[in-house]
Amino acid sequence: MNGDVEMNEKQRYITLDLGGAPMTPWCRFKRVVKRTFRIELFIGLWVTIREMFKTLFMGKSHTTKYPFEKMPISSRYRAIHDMLRLLESGHYRCIGCGLCEKICISNCIAMETRYDENQRKEVSGYTINFGRCIFCGYCAEVCPELAIVHGARYETASEQRASFSLFEDMLTPIDKLKEQKEFEGYGAPSPWADKNIKKTPLAY
Amino acid sequence: MYAMLLYIDGGGVVMVKKSDMAQYVNITIDGKNCIGKQGDTILQIARANDVYIPTLCYLSKVKPIASCRMCLVEIQGSEGVVLSCQERAVEGTVITTDSKMLYKHRQNIMKLFGVNHPLECGVCDKSGECDLQNKTLEFDVATQNFCAKESDKKVENWGFISYDPSLCIVCEKCVRICNEIVGESILEVAVGGYKSRIINTNKEADCSNCGECMAVCPVGALTNSEFKYSSNAWELERIPATCVHCSSGCPLYYEVKPSSTANREESIYRVTNPFEFSSLCGAGRFAYDFANKDAKKDKEAFTRALKAFEGAKSIRFSANITNEEALILQKLKEKKGYKLICDEARNYQKFLAAYSMVSGKSLYSGDLATLKDSDAIIIFGTRINDDNPMVKYHISMASKWHRARVAYLHPMEDVSMSKIVTQFIKYEVGSEEGVVALLANAFLSDLRLSDAVKEYLESLDVGNLSAESNVGEEELEGLVNSFEKKNTFSFVIGADLYAHPRAQEIAKVLALFEKYLDCNVILTPPASNALGVALICNLDDEDVNEQSIGYNVKGDFTLGSLGEVDLDMPALNQQEGTLTTIDKRVVATHVALPFGGYVLNDIANALGLETEYTIDYTKELPKRSGYKAVEFDTLNHEFSKEGNDIRGYLLETKDVKIDEIFEEIEELPAYDGGVVYWCNEGIHFTYNTLYKYPASKYLKGSKQFAVAMKISDGEELIFENEKRQYRRIFKLDETMKGTIAITSSVTEPLEVSSFKNYRYTLMKLQEDGVIR
Ligand code: SF4
Ligand code: SF4
Ligand code: SF4
Ligand code: SF4
Ligand code: SF4
Ligand code: FES
Repeated sequence: MNGDVEMNEKQRYITLDLGGAPMTPWCRFKRVVKRTFRIELFIGLWVTIREMFKTLFMGKSHTTKYPFEKMPISSRYRAIHDMLRLLESGHYRCIGCGLCEKICISNCIAMETRYDENQRKEVSGYTINFGRCIFCGYCAEVCPELAIVHGARYETASEQRASFSLFEDMLTPIDKLKEQKEFEGYGAPSPWADKNIKKTPLAY
Repeated sequence: MYAMLLYIDGGGVVMVKKSDMAQYVNITIDGKNCIGKQGDTILQIARANDVYIPTLCYLSKVKPIASCRMCLVEIQGSEGVVLSCQERAVEGTVITTDSKMLYKHRQNIMKLFGVNHPLECGVCDKSGECDLQNKTLEFDVATQNFCAKESDKKVENWGFISYDPSLCIVCEKCVRICNEIVGESILEVAVGGYKSRIINTNKEADCSNCGECMAVCPVGALTNSEFKYSSNAWELERIPATCVHCSSGCPLYYEVKPSSTANREESIYRVTNPFEFSSLCGAGRFAYDFANKDAKKDKEAFTRALKAFEGAKSIRFSANITNEEALILQKLKEKKGYKLICDEARNYQKFLAAYSMVSGKSLYSGDLATLKDSDAIIIFGTRINDDNPMVKYHISMASKWHRARVAYLHPMEDVSMSKIVTQFIKYEVGSEEGVVALLANAFLSDLRLSDAVKEYLESLDVGNLSAESNVGEEELEGLVNSFEKKNTFSFVIGADLYAHPRAQEIAKVLALFEKYLDCNVILTPPASNALGVALICNLDDEDVNEQSIGYNVKGDFTLGSLGEVDLDMPALNQQEGTLTTIDKRVVATHVALPFGGYVLNDIANALGLETEYTIDYTKELPKRSGYKAVEFDTLNHEFSKEGNDIRGYLLETKDVKIDEIFEEIEELPAYDGGVVYWCNEGIHFTYNTLYKYPASKYLKGSKQFAVAMKISDGEELIFENEKRQYRRIFKLDETMKGTIAITSSVTEPLEVSSFKNYRYTLMKLQEDGVIR
């Protein structure tokens, strides 16, 4: 008992005077009316009302009309991969080095390469098993050509996992080449990369 | 007394006797006391003692090339540096392999190697196993301060090999291997500073297509044109195995990976080998795609097979099977009384038995390692480069390293041996018994011999034999003289003799060379595992037309891995088991690709043998033939650090009762007219290798042959042998001489490479246009 008293003193509880609780129905009714018509309510609703006016009469809205509209996402967001093309020739950038396949932590990249008619290495098959991909971004980071990058496609609901996983699905469509954006996420050159470039000695 | 000196040899520790100490040297490398054999280089001793010295041009299986200078080391008390790869160790030297100066030096070498080297590791086949890549990183070459004017360098395709001069670092390994080991000397260095490159002096005519140059290339300059750009080295899984094409049983790795992005079934992408220590021929390296794919467990066919086994009287099979399968067949014989018919091994078995009767040993004495260290070699009764290229490689090494005298006795000249052979002795077809007698007479008659041998030699009518066989007495005299003062004498025997009508008599005389001259005699087995089959199975001669099972040969019910068969069997790269090699070594091979069907052991089990896995038979291989009770899984597949073959185990040679009875020589047969020699040329041994060598349905002969047989180039002819008809297209070969034509014995699946009868067939033009 003694202990409790001491503690109360130490913690210095202050009892607030809230007025007495309404005792009669009439008193209760009076309080409801008072609370309802006090101006505070409208202060609380002010933002809503302002936005309502903006939306209704000024055509300014914060709602993203998904799926017709999408939020812009950070270049560091790691969604379904894109395979980029060279802007000059339109050829896919991937040289078939296999580093992404090697580094992939969940072992979900499979690729196939061959010696083509022009004595070059052709990527004849490339798939990512998105059932296993953990979107770690290692592949994009290791790629020496900035060929495989993470794109912005985050909706991955589909009838089949295979829907996104082929080279053709990931590759920038050739008619959309102009819209291809340079990747800025992990693995992209730093903004000051130019400063680090050294001159190669050349004999001519 | 044994001194406290331990020498690590072939993976085992050898105690060295005090009296033998002079054969060894003690040196100190980086503070570690190292022991090596007298005459070893510093690098060899360092490697044997686990001390690392960086090298780039060093290849242990050839003589030091000394072109890169990476292996420089410092010797205490002496100015300057030495090349450890070629400097022999001197007792007591103290060596430093790493210092600031050496590091700087090596770094500069790597910078120089990197001058104008294309930055294409991303696509290069060699990436991940490239010496240039590794050493550039090891010596931290981050920038390049040298450059040279680039010259136009185009990729060249040489058959199975592709050469990219811009990646070549001109280390010369390829040149050396082609010269010293393969014995072809096709590659040369075109010197010219940064324009230096390798030239193929034989671009039009194919070389032997062995791919050895490609295997030893430390960078991506020489690559396999089929494999090129199809996979990175690190994606491939290495399956240690043994080559199954010929009896040399070379070690190799099948490298497998899923076939494609859609098909995750594995397939073989390429074959590699422990190239520092051993070699492959073109068949081993390029003909790997012979698996029996897509076979399923066909229950009905299996039931039919069992029924066929119940009714069969004999099992006919090819010698391209494992030791374990041979044992299964032998057990089935013991249980069910089948006759075992293996033409490939039967003649060899009888030959070996006759040989042992005189030599007193169950096995021949020779092996390849001794062959390569020989300085006097006789090749007799075989077209050796075609029959067993690895034997040729070893003869080539002997020729290059010990300036060996190489006498080649055969009825046909062989261009592929011309750079190695010092004396070619041509004898008449069929006269082998006379030739061996003449040889014995020339080499042995001055020695102390047993009465039986003396009597045999005295009874010879040398003049007559010499006339009949066409081997001149002066030729033989020249041969004997040239072998004088030689230390190591090897005798290579081949398949012409095993099926000779007088094979056993020939074998007995040959055994005298082992017995009295302590000669390294090699009886080249005529098929991959002919030696194993000969030692494991009690083979039968009689092949009456009874109900038979065929295993990889045609039977009334045929089991096999290729062609039209009644029950699918796994190919040898889909099986695990052991093989017995020419070196009398029992080596293991493993499963490279899965097999979905039934194996021989399943049939054997259904017939009442009870063993879960085929490899459970490994430890049961017959002790009386020299096999050991060793579990399959304990068989080693690696070479020793010094490069000695220590795979598996060696067969034990048993003593055999000696019985020296020599028969009088029969009259030498005459083969007048066109003769066909059955020989699978080039990289062709069995049906498994045929797909790499499609042009083999020909009969190749000289103009003289064409005239004698009245045929012209491109004409088809039909002829018979061993109750079988063969169809061949005649191909005129201007380089050939004489009336012997060559044709391949295997052009269809289920055919075997060697014959029951003598390897030469006399052809007669019949009136109906058929040659018989
Ligand atoms: S994001 Fe990671 S898990 Fe997915 S493919 Fe790339 S490396 Fe593999
Ligand atoms: S890392 Fe890049 S260039 Fe290399 S294979 Fe992958 S996507 Fe292609
Ligand atoms: S040879 Fe070696 S260093 Fe040169 S591109 Fe190929 S992997 Fe890279
Ligand atoms: S091709 Fe290869 S092995 Fe031959 S010299 Fe060039 S780098 Fe050396
Ligand atoms: S493939 Fe063999 S024979 Fe041909 S060049 Fe290379 S090493 Fe010489
Ligand atoms: S390894 Fe000795 S010089 Fe190349």
